[in-house]
Parts: sequence; structure tokens; C-alpha cells
Amino acid sequence: MKNSSKKNNNLNKVAYYPGCSLNSTAIDFNVSVKKLLDVLDIEHIEIDDWNCCGTTPANNIDEELVVLLSARNLMIAKNMGLEDILSPCVSCYNKLYKAAYYINSTSELKNKREEKIKASIFKTLKDMGFDTGQELNFKVYSIIEFLYLKKAEISRKFRELKQVNNENEEYSILKELIPVCYYGCALLRPKDALRFDDVERPTSMEEILKEVGIECVDFSFKTECCGAILSLSNKDSVLKLSGEVLDNALENNADSLIVFCQLCQQNLDLRQKQINRFNKTRYNLPILYITQVLGVALGLTFKQVMLDRLFVPIKSPGRSKVKSHNNDKGRLN
Amino acid sequence: MEKTNNDTDRIRNEILDYIEPKIYNCYQCGKCTSSCPLSDVFEYKPNQIIRLVQSGKIDAIINSNSIFLCLSCAICSSRCPQDVHIATIMNYIRNEAWKSGRFKIKSIKRFYKTFLRIVSRTGRSYEPGLLMSLNFLSGRLFNDMDLALDILKKRKIRLLPEFVKERKQITKTIKKYM
Repeated sequence: MKNSSKKNNNLNKVAYYPGCSLNSTAIDFNVSVKKLLDVLDIEHIEIDDWNCCGTTPANNIDEELVVLLSARNLMIAKNMGLEDILSPCVSCYNKLYKAAYYINSTSELKNKREEKIKASIFKTLKDMGFDTGQELNFKVYSIIEFLYLKKAEISRKFRELKQVNNENEEYSILKELIPVCYYGCALLRPKDALRFDDVERPTSMEEILKEVGIECVDFSFKTECCGAILSLSNKDSVLKLSGEVLDNALENNADSLIVFCQLCQQNLDLRQKQINRFNKTRYNLPILYITQVLGVALGLTFKQVMLDRLFVPIKSPGRSKVKSHNNDKGRLN
Repeated sequence: MEKTNNDTDRIRNEILDYIEPKIYNCYQCGKCTSSCPLSDVFEYKPNQIIRLVQSGKIDAIINSNSIFLCLSCAICSSRCPQDVHIATIMNYIRNEAWKSGRFKIKSIKRFYKTFLRIVSRTGRSYEPGLLMSLNFLSGRLFNDMDLALDILKKRKIRLLPEFVKERKQITKTIKKYM
């Protein structure tokens, strides 16, 4: 893994950009991230009056629009005295990252076309009342990169709790799981821009989880796309692609998936019964956010990290028939 | 840059000059297409898109379904042995298709419009409103209703929209590009 942050900064205070889904259907992700940051003593200050990043629709209709929407959020953070931005949602993260590329003072833009876009963005930001003349030096972090940089703290905190965790029933339930780490497509691509881990065989999630005693099995679909936001316009594609991710997890004898993207999480968890219907399977795989798992390992309860809100619940180990279920892969036909 | 007479030439030149000057490095190995999760439903496969851009057949691309179904997962760019950024090229053509009102797939156009209309009004996205308007506009009223009940049971949705205070800034911005 490359060292992505060269800044002399211990990252104990960040501007927090939750994004729209984390305030709604991914509330469990939002809550578990914030509780985890609290446990790690990291101050997180929500960006005031933030707006939607525009996500895929804005990106697909106009590059300038999508950069502009995120640039406004960055400028508000700057006004709050913050330039380190943490965005757990991977779609928002990509948009904020792109906006930082366009507006950072040290960025070297590639060509005249990009210069033109930058000029146009600065003009609109100025009209909104932002000071575009000042030095801007934003650094945008995805949750995985951020947690990776905080690995030592996570490890230390976990060692402090070792005694407690030996008797922590909820932690033992998680420790019993045989998870795979699913990265999805959006974090590590495109390769030049965002890479902080191997594009094809990333290991950062496994490395972080190892620090809290959670061992994961490998699988081949780590960075395949789940179908993402096509769930709202071409659902069948999503049910097929997400189904293949679950197929491959089971082929590797996993009984659960650990993710960090709420779109992956929703497609795999909420839509798992649709996937089963579409592909004639009867899978029953809980899909957990990495922040929920880390939270429980660092002393939080299932309820606090909202693990009680999964659509496909975690089986408690006593009644689990994971092994036999895996052998026939749950195929109906 | 050469003088251009029409839109097609302009788009092609923009790609060659700025979006992906390395486009002629493509040697048609097909790795992009074999990696693409959706190439089996694309009317033109990613490697064919590259050839079409090279030969100036931008209209053929815009009239096919590929750029609209593309998920921007960028596995094509990431695996290209010649480092051609195929996903960036596709997004650029998609942007141009929008600007000239040639967004071919209705369900996707409807989704983008509805989504951005909500964001331009409130400053943020609002999932219940989005799902309801999409079901209404598409005539599939009960699409995903099975999920709606589950979501409500788990209290995993915000029922009321949130409003950004300075939402006028957002309204103005989005209007300019829609």
C-alpha cells in the first residue's frame, strides 16, 4: 500500500461530509462511522449546510456541474477552518476528490479544457460569496484510506479492550463469521487518480480488520461492480451482477460480506431477496459495514452500531448451519 | 485544433486534443470488453466505442445504448494495457449527448431529471420522493414496494425532506446545466 498522506498531520480533527444517503437509508453506516470516530478520539465536524454532491446523475450530464456542487461543500469547510475532509460515501468521496483536484492551489491541471472548467467554477463560487483568492489545499479521505492511516490507534484501542472482548458475546458472534471483504468498484478507480491500494487485489480492509482479530477469506469478486445506481433504472442488471458477487463469496465458503459502500450494502442486503428470486437462489448472507465490525470490536454494542437494522440478520452461532448451507450453495434448481 | 463544421467533428477533436490524447494507442486487444460487467448488453462494446471515436462515428455511439448503461465503474480504463481512459471518453460523450438532448434511454433520463429536480429544490436528495416520482412517471406504481415495507420496518429512511438553507445557490447552479 502506498503512503498516500504526506501531510504533517495526525488527522485528529476532520470535516465530516455524510452525504444524503447516510442521512437516510444508510443511517446505520453514518451512525457507526461517527461512533467509531468517537471511540478513536477523532473530532469530526459536519460541514455546515452541505448540499448533495449530485452523484451519478450530475456526473453523467455535466462534468462542470458535478465539480461545482462538491466545490461549494469544500469552500464551506474552508470557511470553518477545515481542509481535511472525510467522506464515508464512496460516490460523494469521488466527487469531492475531483473538486479538490480542480480547485486546490497546488493542482496542476492537464490542459486548456480543464483550465476553462476551473475558471468557470471559480466564477460561480465567487458569485456564491466564497473567497476564491485564498490558498486552498484540500485533502479528501475515503473511510478506508482514513481507517488505514489510523490502524495503529485501532490496534492500540483493541489491545486495551482485550480482556473485555474475551467475554463480549457480540464480538464473539462477529469473530465466528467467515467474511469476505468486498470493495466494489468505485474506491480504487480510475487508477491514476485515486489509488492507495492495489486496484485488482486490494488488502487494506483485511489488514485493518486483522488488527481487531477478524480474519477474512479471499474471493475473486473483490472489486467487481454490484450494479450500483442502475437499481433505480435497470434493476435486472443489478440483480445479476450483485448475484454473481454473492455466488463467488459462497464459492469461497464465506458466510458474510464486509463492505464500506452503502450502494453495495443496499444492493446486496436490502435487495438480497430480489436477487434470490431473480437468480433462483436462497442465499442468506449478512452484509456488514466495516465500521460496524470495528465498532463492536472496540467496545460498542450491536445496537449502538445499528447491526440490529440489517435486512439479512446475523445468525447467532449456536443455530448456524452455514457449513451445510454452503455446500449446496443454496441453489434451488 | 482544426476548424470544425459540425458537432461530430467537434466532439471527436475535443477527445483527441483533451479528453484522451492517447486514444490511438488502442490496439484492439479487447481487454476492456472482456472486463466490462455490462458488455453483453452493450450494443457497441467498449473496444468498438474506441474504434468508432477514432473513425469519427460519434452519432453511432450516441444512438446506441452503451454510454447510457455504462456504470462508470472504470474497470475498462483500469485494465487497459495501453492506458487509454475509456470510461472518461464514455462519460464525455454522455455529457455531450445530454447537452444536445439525445439521451436515448428514457428510464435513465427520467431518473436523472427527477433526481436533479429534487436536489435543485431542496439542496439535497430525498429518497422517498425520488422513488415515488419514478414509480409514478414510469407507470410501475408498485415497483420495489416489497422493499419499502422492509425499509419502514427497520426505520431506515428519512420520511421528510431536508432543506439546505442557501438552497437558492443550488437551484441556480443546477438550472444552468439542466
